[in-house]
Amino acid sequence: MRFFTKKLSSGSERVGSMTGFLKTPSAVVETPTAALLTQGGSVVHLTADVLSRVFSDSKLLWVPLSNSAHLENGLKAQGKGVAQFAGLQEHFTCVTFQNMNEVTPSGHFEVDKVPLWTKHGKKMISADRYMDLMEVFKPDIILAIADSRMSLEEGYKRIAKSVDRTTKMLNTCVERYKVSKELQNSCLVGVVVGCAQSRKLEESLQHFLRHKDILGGVALSGLTDGTEESNDVPIDKLEAIFEKVSNALPKDILHVVEGCWNPAVILTAISYGWDVFDGSYAVKLSNLGHALILNFDVTRDMKSSYLLDLNDECYKDQFVPILESCECLACEKHTRAYIRHLLNTREMLASVLLSIHNLYHFDQMFYHARQHILTNTFEVYKKHIIKQYESYRSLKLEMDIAETEPDHSLQVKKKSKLVEEVTNNNYKVNCNNI
Amino acid sequence: MALTFSVQAECGVTRARAGLMTLPHYDVKTPVFMPVGTQGTMKGLLPEQLEDLDCEIILGNTYHLGNRPGTDVLKKVGGLHKFMAWNRALLTDSGGFQMVSLLKLAEITEEGVKFKSPYDGSEIMLTPEKSIEIQNCIGADIIMQLDDVVQTTFQDNDRIKEATERTSRWLDRCLKAHSRPLEQSIFPIVQGLLNSELRRQSAEEHMRKNVNGFAIGGLSGGEAKDDFWPMVSLGTEVLDTRRPRYLMGVGVAVDLVVCVALGVDMFDCVYPTRTARFGCALVKKGQLNLKQKQYETDLTPIDKDCSCSTCKTYTRAYIHCIVSVETVACHLISVHNIAFQMHLMRTMRENIINGTFVQFVKNFMSEVFPNYNYPTWIINSLKSVGINLCENYCSF
Ligand SMILES: [Zn+2]
Ligand SMILES: [Zn+2]
Repeated sequence: MRFFTKKLSSGSERVGSMTGFLKTPSAVVETPTAALLTQGGSVVHLTADVLSRVFSDSKLLWVPLSNSAHLENGLKAQGKGVAQFAGLQEHFTCVTFQNMNEVTPSGHFEVDKVPLWTKHGKKMISADRYMDLMEVFKPDIILAIADSRMSLEEGYKRIAKSVDRTTKMLNTCVERYKVSKELQNSCLVGVVVGCAQSRKLEESLQHFLRHKDILGGVALSGLTDGTEESNDVPIDKLEAIFEKVSNALPKDILHVVEGCWNPAVILTAISYGWDVFDGSYAVKLSNLGHALILNFDVTRDMKSSYLLDLNDECYKDQFVPILESCECLACEKHTRAYIRHLLNTREMLASVLLSIHNLYHFDQMFYHARQHILTNTFEVYKKHIIKQYESYRSLKLEMDIAETEPDHSLQVKKKSKLVEEVTNNNYKVNCNNI
Repeated sequence: MALTFSVQAECGVTRARAGLMTLPHYDVKTPVFMPVGTQGTMKGLLPEQLEDLDCEIILGNTYHLGNRPGTDVLKKVGGLHKFMAWNRALLTDSGGFQMVSLLKLAEITEEGVKFKSPYDGSEIMLTPEKSIEIQNCIGADIIMQLDDVVQTTFQDNDRIKEATERTSRWLDRCLKAHSRPLEQSIFPIVQGLLNSELRRQSAEEHMRKNVNGFAIGGLSGGEAKDDFWPMVSLGTEVLDTRRPRYLMGVGVAVDLVVCVALGVDMFDCVYPTRTARFGCALVKKGQLNLKQKQYETDLTPIDKDCSCSTCKTYTRAYIHCIVSVETVACHLISVHNIAFQMHLMRTMRENIINGTFVQFVKNFMSEVFPNYNYPTWIINSLKSVGINLCENYCSF
């Protein structure tokens, strides 16, 4: 895999492309982009057949070992790597240790091992074992194993340990990578941790730079432990880290951010030159019954367009698509009312349709980001999207307050007014969009 | 006309026939298997996937749809076709069977089926009129009369007689209540359980009614196969050949082959999709339980001769890894299992048209039972329509 940055605009944001994949040399993945999160090697809720109806081009797949380690024996027997085994050979894979979309128990470390929390229980994994697995999974991109699951609130001792452990493990990964025949065509990405303590972060960066000739990319981790609270970091705090790490490293390598980050965080990271995101946010929304409905048109000011909670009864007779202007398979044929019915009856098609929409729409958010970078208007686009996120967030806070209203009828009234504000506003504006 | 049925070819030996059933939403080629999409969806598959699988008609359950999304929503949207974005044909059951099988406390009187709502505990009465009213609202191409359901293995002859006769009386009430006869066809249900006199009487009474097709009900409920097939045979013998015959609740491959030979045109069953949920894939000889360790490194598809998207793309080894963990596994097996059913029906149809149906049945049975250890019910049922399986066997 090779990575080229194509356009550096007036800011630090950039458009790039990943190319030179072994199986499909002509395919290109444009960045900034979100990978598609997989479980057991498959894009969550979507078969290869359905995925091909959603995207006609090759995508980057995010393959966490925590939900795919059990493919090992089958992969060994087959010998062609995880993309082929999962029926997704036209796509590219980035294998990672963990899935930041999940919350896992904390602790349980050993000197040279980190715990992998799988459906079949906890497994302690060393860097050597990790690289053994990589030779079986044969990904296009390998995120080096790291001890990185922690929030920015984490204490000094734990952070120091995580930097030490990550440093040691990266050394092993690099040594193994250098001599591995199987991984010659894979790109090794080093993980930077220690974000909450500037001295430790500095240490992690220095160590990364020692291997800079071998490493094809950097992944920023150690920003969250995966919990809701820990993901809800003030954006300026993250912004400082995105900037600092980006500035400390070579520009020509792939910049990856791990974690289930909302669009506001993602666009902020893009503005500091970060290229690849793990895409788990779209999956999280689908699993909650939510649909993302961002407005990408910067000439339209829209306050409360962000997401719909399709579990809400108010959608039961809304026979309109999730988003009128969306061209995804779900919006082309199906209505909010139908998806609400599928959620209400716990039918599997709800997750399928929501995944189709959310993955498509999330992908569109990156498409528009690339377009704006190319035309030097990214700053406007970033502000436009962040505004939508923030007005949704304050609306949601109001709703949570309404939830605590002791007078039930008043609570229902307040809530329905807010819901109405979201749904009607959207629908009207989105109609105008066509 | 809400339904026209034309027989395109007959087997000549057995009662099997290939037909074309023209419905308001689609032309359905028979014999046909109708997958069951209970709540307005087929186990996670998109409508376009069902079309690619050649599904021409699918089932919805009135009882479930009447509760959720409910008739208000269905009325507003203009029926189930629009609600679920399915442009081909639909069939709905009457809701009675679900009520009796799901709800232990159902009480059946001449007026209808009385039961406690599982949603709010209130008492609800499902009458023949109410069932048709809901089905008119759902808007399926074919709808079912409400019948008086008795468990198949039930023994009390007085009760069976009452149920059979009541079913006929309820048919009249259903036909009278039907408000969309130009768009929807009511099928009467032949009852009588395992009592051939009552069954004959039921079928003969239905024959006199102005209806476009018939269903054979009250079977496939745990009775012995030796008791099952004569009742099917009696049904297709009495019911006229100009109208389609639908055997309710049958979907296992050998049963389908036998019953097509007996002259049945339509089938439905939850079996292919239900079994997919448990990780079982249908193959000619039965099922593969993909959870089993033996598939861990098996790099062949579920069925090397199957052309479904699952078999073209995935190995048994991969599905084994994700079965019962990822929803994708369930979708993949559902696709294959529906493809398997559709392929079997299409093959039978082609053989009927080509005049090779008898040979097809013999080959099929010898593949399923390679040692010629045919169950007696299969030997007897096929013999009754002129296929002698033992002849094949003796020539070896
Ligand atoms: Zn959409
Ligand atoms: Zn197949």
